[in-house]
Amino acid sequence: MTRKSNGLLAALVATGVALGAGACGADKIEAAGGAGGCDTSKGRLVVGVIAPMSGKLSAIGLGIRNSVQLAVEQANASCAVKGYQLAMDAQDDEANPDKGAAAAQRFADDPNVVGIVGSYNSGVARAIQPKIATAKLLQISPGNTDPALTRGADFATAPKRQYDNYFRVVGTDDLQGPFNARYLVEKEGKKKLAIITDGKAVGESMATEFAKEAERLGAQVVIREKVNENDSDFSSVLTKVKGVRPDAIFVGSEYHVAGPLSKQAKDLGLDVPISGNDGLFDPQFIALGGKEGDVATSVGAPIEKLDSGKGFVAAYKKKGFAEGFGGFGSFAYDAANVIVSSVGKVTAKSDWTGAMEQREALIRHVQAYRTDAGANGTIGFDQYGDSVNKMFTVYKVTSGAWKDVLSDRFEAK
Amino acid sequence: MTSTDTGSTTGVRGPVTRARRSARSVLSVRSVRRVPGAVLVLAGALSPWASVVLPGGAYPDLATLHLFDAPHLVTGFRLHLVLLGLAALLPRAARPAGAGVLIIAFVHTAFLAALGAVSFGGPVALAGGALLVWQGRREPAPRWPLPGRAVVWPALAAAFAGLLWLVSATLTAGGQSRATNPHGGAEFLAFLGFAVALLGILSAYGVLAWLSALAERHRTFSVAVLLGCAMLLPLTGAGTGYWMTVASTIGVYAATAIGLNIVVGLAGLLDLGYVAFLGIGAFTAANLAHTVPFPVAALAGAVAAGLLGVVVGAPTLRVRGDYLAIVTLAFGEIFFRAAQNDLGGLTGGANSIPGIPPITLFGQAFDRPVGALPAGFLYYALTVLMVAGAMAVLANLKHSRTGRAWLAISADEDVARAMGVHTGRAKILAFLVGATLAGLAGAVFAHKLGTVGYESFDFSESVTLLAAVILGGMGTVPGAVVGASLLFVLPEKLREFSDYRLMLFGLALILIMRLRPKGLVSS
Amino acid sequence: MATLAQQLVNGLVLGALIGLIALGYTMVYGIVQLINFAHGEVFMAGAFGAHFAYLRLLPAGTPWYLALPVMTGAAVAVSVAVAVAMERWAYRPLRGAHKLAPLITALGVSILLQEVVRVFYPGATAPLAFPRAFAGGSLTLGPVLVLWTGVLAVVVAPLLATGLHLYVERSRLGRAMRATAQDPDTARLMGIDPDRVVLATFVIGAVLAGAGAVLYGVHYTQIDTAIGFQNGIFAFTAAVLGGIGSIRGAMLGALCIGLVKSLAGQYAWGGAQYDYVWVFVLLILVLMFRPQGFLGRPEGVRA
Repeated sequence: MTRKSNGLLAALVATGVALGAGACGADKIEAAGGAGGCDTSKGRLVVGVIAPMSGKLSAIGLGIRNSVQLAVEQANASCAVKGYQLAMDAQDDEANPDKGAAAAQRFADDPNVVGIVGSYNSGVARAIQPKIATAKLLQISPGNTDPALTRGADFATAPKRQYDNYFRVVGTDDLQGPFNARYLVEKEGKKKLAIITDGKAVGESMATEFAKEAERLGAQVVIREKVNENDSDFSSVLTKVKGVRPDAIFVGSEYHVAGPLSKQAKDLGLDVPISGNDGLFDPQFIALGGKEGDVATSVGAPIEKLDSGKGFVAAYKKKGFAEGFGGFGSFAYDAANVIVSSVGKVTAKSDWTGAMEQREALIRHVQAYRTDAGANGTIGFDQYGDSVNKMFTVYKVTSGAWKDVLSDRFEAK
Repeated sequence: MTSTDTGSTTGVRGPVTRARRSARSVLSVRSVRRVPGAVLVLAGALSPWASVVLPGGAYPDLATLHLFDAPHLVTGFRLHLVLLGLAALLPRAARPAGAGVLIIAFVHTAFLAALGAVSFGGPVALAGGALLVWQGRREPAPRWPLPGRAVVWPALAAAFAGLLWLVSATLTAGGQSRATNPHGGAEFLAFLGFAVALLGILSAYGVLAWLSALAERHRTFSVAVLLGCAMLLPLTGAGTGYWMTVASTIGVYAATAIGLNIVVGLAGLLDLGYVAFLGIGAFTAANLAHTVPFPVAALAGAVAAGLLGVVVGAPTLRVRGDYLAIVTLAFGEIFFRAAQNDLGGLTGGANSIPGIPPITLFGQAFDRPVGALPAGFLYYALTVLMVAGAMAVLANLKHSRTGRAWLAISADEDVARAMGVHTGRAKILAFLVGATLAGLAGAVFAHKLGTVGYESFDFSESVTLLAAVILGGMGTVPGAVVGASLLFVLPEKLREFSDYRLMLFGLALILIMRLRPKGLVSS
Repeated sequence: MATLAQQLVNGLVLGALIGLIALGYTMVYGIVQLINFAHGEVFMAGAFGAHFAYLRLLPAGTPWYLALPVMTGAAVAVSVAVAVAMERWAYRPLRGAHKLAPLITALGVSILLQEVVRVFYPGATAPLAFPRAFAGGSLTLGPVLVLWTGVLAVVVAPLLATGLHLYVERSRLGRAMRATAQDPDTARLMGIDPDRVVLATFVIGAVLAGAGAVLYGVHYTQIDTAIGFQNGIFAFTAAVLGGIGSIRGAMLGALCIGLVKSLAGQYAWGGAQYDYVWVFVLLILVLMFRPQGFLGRPEGVRA
């Protein structure tokens, strides 16, 4: 054994010596690692992201993450926050409130974190809000549509701001649901409506607001059913719906439920349009079975009709992310830009320490923020933290692709 | 070992010779054989690691580009390598130290390679580690006599303090934020290597066995010290609001898992819908949160869950084995569906129940910081006490008449019945006790999170709880706590690996079961 | 009346599809007493294998009668490969360990496989459209409409189950399987290699899961990484309901689940949102009064 291991040993030692000698001439000073030509001497500030990046909603969550990444890199390239380098820290909440709360606490502890883009799920947001309220950590959601998050449980009758550090760039269910109903009832003349939801908060509250407006306009909701979003077989519930002969079906869910549902309805001889919210507005809806004449509403004007929106799409494509930006990437991009711009204003006056006054100043800047050049057009916030952009668009499946048919500002009646 | 190891060919000797040999071996020729490996490890530790400055900044612990000429100033993983390299000179420590070196060096080398940097120190340390593992001997650990009282208390206190340090260091390894420390993931995994090596060395010298025998003999003292140490955790580096939040979540699930351990581990009744008990406790407490003080709400939650436990346990009178497992799965699914559809207006359905106030006792809201302690400390303290209480219940039941009846049922139900055990009553009692614990945990869960929704109680949560029990070691007192900690800390720390996080987690489950099929803490 | 007939047909199709997965559960359980939670992922992997074959291996515009066999072949190949790897490296080392250790391993395998597909299969982070590789349109029976893919499932599933039944009853390996299921120690004494029998069981389960995956895909035209887990739970329920270890029982249990889900959605209290609740209520009731399921043997001496 001696000879064998001595040989091995000699080889190992020789390698070590050679490697060590090779490195001896190297530079002794550790570089801090710079980025581009900007001054980043004051350190690194973090934009947190909380989104579902694994599981069923991962396409949406990864789109959000990538879009924030894009905004942060653009900000670094253009030296948007003088003296600082921005970084993104994306945390997966698995669409689970408990996981989201832990991630939010992690951000709240960290003075370098200037704000959070997230969450996607309203249920997760409910757990995050109290965790970061005392730290006054800024949160801008690209996807929460539950009106109660900003205006409280009595949002329709007695709205009251819930948290002054919470904002969102998407329209709420109590606007989009009725907008959808007005289109179906007034423009398409549907009078007998069926509702199918997936039991999740977004779909349920959207459907409830949809039903209220539809009935106000004289239509009739003839049946309301719930399916399990993990199901693939909707034949039973659709057979039941078929029995009451509706003119259209409102689906309170996302494309992975609504697409197959549309196909299976047609297969059962129930050839009526499916209508739904922005969760349906995805090319995959059509690939998964969405048929001609199906309708989806979405927040904002069509992105490809805005120069700023086109800029976002082009920049995103250029980055070559593995995933598409999904239904909410453009909102996440806008949210991140709000944070970047507001942080720039705060740090222009004093260096970032993460102190309470700075966080409050940051919130004031966000509250006052206003632009018409967001990826989704107008970005700004009202006294509740809701988006001032009340523009919605109706899209319809026409020759195998989504086509916008109508954009309008929503006013409650 | 390999056939080249001359020690093992002549090593068939009695214990006396072996003892004499190992006493001599520090000086013998054999000890010299460990030196090259150790030297290589030290050389690797002090060589430069990354060949370039990485885009995210310098590699941690000044590992970039320069030959480290000040060994007394090393930090981080290089310090660990130096320590392990020195420890490897001890006769029994070579193998575990080598294994630790291999893990640390592999993780950092692979991480650097993935970033496109060539490592100089990495291959050298890897070679040293491999040499140590190859040449080190595997011997049965020596047994040490148990000392008198004067030594016991300081020894145990020191041991638990060490444990506290290990837990805190593991939690903080790699830092909290990937954005501020892009190398955190590698640092954490490498730290695990160091921890494994430390435990391995202690175990090779019989220290771990000695300590656990001591702790077993002086149980009350150990529990008191352990509790004290747990309360000291917030004062360490892990005392941030984030870790307090994670730790109290772990506490909730650990208490629930202890309840499940009674059902599965002691009574041998497989339950696949256990999270329903946590859910019923949470929903009960949430509904009562605005009307009664927390202790009453918690009690109500525990009672409600206990009653449900009896209902779920009733079929055990007729249904056995895996058929029972599927009945419990069915109950779990029914609970989930009922909660999702807001049965009786009690669960809030899709909207969940928001706005549950934090626990407030003596005018102190639990979510606020107390003095210099981080926010969430009070919840942490509460869950530590709850887990300690649950462990006490489990330990007492295990050694009681009921516990022996459960073990008999678990071994063979027909024989147990023939021996005069009231099997039906015992089985329902197991469900009752287990569910009550889970219900209590659920009440804390509701207040801690501030919102309760059906999605927290789906099948995968039941599975996680079961995994906690089995990973930790079925029927053992600390098992469920160890398992739950692992199942929640691991994914949190693996966050650094974003996309590969759950994949690594699945792999870890498979590997742990393969290496320790009886769980990490097995009797 | 038309509605009732339509619901019965809906239930029949769903039952046929679940049944093919349930067979894998029941076979494995019958031999090694392991609830192989990862069997659903074998099914899922098969579906992605077929998807891959259609998109990457076949030229565009391949007629369905050519595409379907190729896709089935690919699905079966992937399923079998996954099942063999799982048996060989995850379960076999644990044989003889406590019976819950393989259960956790199964969960680990399940998570691992889902994540591997989700991360490495292009586009699998979101649901994917499955190729419509079978005749479109429906068979019209008066007021009742059945998709041709549904007809295919209802025809093929019982055929495969019957084939499996005959194989287990008649063939040499089938006898070895039954012998091992009854008493592994005696079977070993008789010269039966248990490793081979167990492996064969996993392979057979995987073949059926692969075939089921293609039927499932062409019928629902959508797959995602979660289909295995979700359908696996129902398949497992079906296997238990029918009497675990029994081939006819598994098909019967699956049929039962399909019908109860369909009919409960239409007629029972609470509507479609409670449909699975009725499935599980039925399960509990059946097991209370017949703890071994419809066609199972009572749990005897073997633990």
